[in-house]
This record gives sequence, structure tokens and C-alpha cells, in this order.
Amino acid sequence: MAELNETIHQPVRLRIMAALITLDTGDEVDFKYLRHLLGVTDGNLGAHLRKLEEAGYIIVNKVFVERKPHTYISATAAGRTAFQEHITALESIFKNKVG
Amino acid sequence: MNISPTEAEESLAAIQSVTQKTRRSIANSGAYIFLIITGSVWLVGFLATQFLSGPIVAYLWIGASVLGSALSIPLGTRQARRVRSPSLSPTAQRAITFWLLLILYGIAAIAVAKPDDGKQVTMFIVLFLMLGQLSMGMLLSFSATWWALPITVLALVGYFLLPGIFYLWMGILVGGGMIILGMYIHFRW
Repeated sequence: MAELNETIHQPVRLRIMAALITLDTGDEVDFKYLRHLLGVTDGNLGAHLRKLEEAGYIIVNKVFVERKPHTYISATAAGRTAFQEHITALESIFKNKVG
Repeated sequence: MNISPTEAEESLAAIQSVTQKTRRSIANSGAYIFLIITGSVWLVGFLATQFLSGPIVAYLWIGASVLGSALSIPLGTRQARRVRSPSLSPTAQRAITFWLLLILYGIAAIAVAKPDDGKQVTMFIVLFLMLGQLSMGMLLSFSATWWALPITVLALVGYFLLPGIFYLWMGILVGGGMIILGMYIHFRW
């Protein structure tokens, strides 16, 4: 039976993973765009991204595009699996209430 | 780690909300550019067709179209930076093939029907263009292409009910409407 993931369950990290999982495998999202999507501050988003990166759930890729620095984020295969297991656990808990 | 069923329900709702917002935002990121640029080209082109005559009309259409195409390249590139893909996805490949085929079918339909005047040619182009947008919506995200329906209705109203001011109608109401809608999607959506 799938178990809840403490790293992912934190509300901001849950929303970050939900946004990243929506993209196709291998797609990367721009840091500023992700911040705009989630409505969080630079510092807040950066702190939660570090936690997810340390857990191996995301990859943070810093590159230069036309001589300007850009940060891109994508979900790893492990992150996708962990997030899917977390959803399964949430659904299981919710079904117990309904059932 | 233990949570209550209510907390689980709230988390699932939050996931669904972010997923929908992300899908809609990505789908709409190109739509507003298309609406503003196409709307501007139509505004200039159709107003010129309504009020001017002679070769100047063709020059204005060509000038507005070239300027619109030139603007759409840097703006589209900027949008593409939001989400980077390692390769062109199968969905994108199918969408490009679909548009190329639709353009060929549109040209073939115009060649077969041999429209009598510019109004009919305009309506053929508008109908094929909006059909393409709606088809994309059916395949990818209807929330990103719903605007094609009211634009089609407005164009048909102008063609059948207001033939005397058809180009003025197309320029101000349809072209202007596309610009306003594009700005609304960009700033308010």
C-alpha cells in the first residue's frame, strides 16, 4: 500500500510537484514562470525547490540564454513515481472517508 | 505520517487546481500572441479594404501581414522559453501536420468553389482558420480555443446580415475583438 510522502506533502512542495508533473517527461519550466503560476515569492520557491532537489525529485538546471541567466526545473523519474504514490495514498485515505 | 480524510481531500483538490491552471496557462501562452497579432493585421487590412481602393489595399495587407509575422517570431520565442522540451513532442508534430493539411484543404476548397468576391474568400479563410483552432481545442484544451466560436458567429453575422459594411465589421468588431480578447487573456486570465 502506498504511503504518504512527508517531503512532497508540504503545501507549496505539493503544488510545485503538481505543476511539474503536468509537463511532458523531460520538459523544463522556467523559474519565473513557475513562481508566477504558483503565486509564491522568489525566496519561498527557492527554499522548497532545494528540499525537492535534495530528495532527488527535481533537477534544477541553470543555463544562459542570450547571455541572460535562466533557471529551469524539471521532475525526475523518481519524483514522478514518488508523487504518483503520494496521490495514491491520498486517494486511499479519502476513499476510506467516502466508503 | 497520518492525516485526516478531510486533509487528503484538500490536498487532492490543490493538486487538481494546480494541474488545471498549469495546463490552461501553457495552452493560452501562445493564444494571446496569436489573437493580438492576427487581430491587428485584420484591423488594418479590413479597414483598408472597406475605405480604400486600388493597389494600396494589397500593399497594406502585405505590409501588415509581414509585420505581424516578423513580430510573432520574437514573441513566440520568448513564450517558448517558459517551458523547454528536449525534442518536438508527438502532439506538436501532429498539430503542425494538421495545420499544413488544413491550409492545403483550404486552398483546394477555394480553388474548387471559385468564390465570386473578396467577401467569400475572406469567409473561406476565416472558417478554415477557426475550424483549425477549434479542432486544436478538441484535441488539446478547449479552454484555450473557445474564442474561435464567437469570432466565427460574428463573421457569419457580418457576411449575411451586414454585407454593405462587412469589411468594417470584420476590422473593428472581429479584429478589434481579437486584440481585446488577447489582452484580456494575457493580463487577466
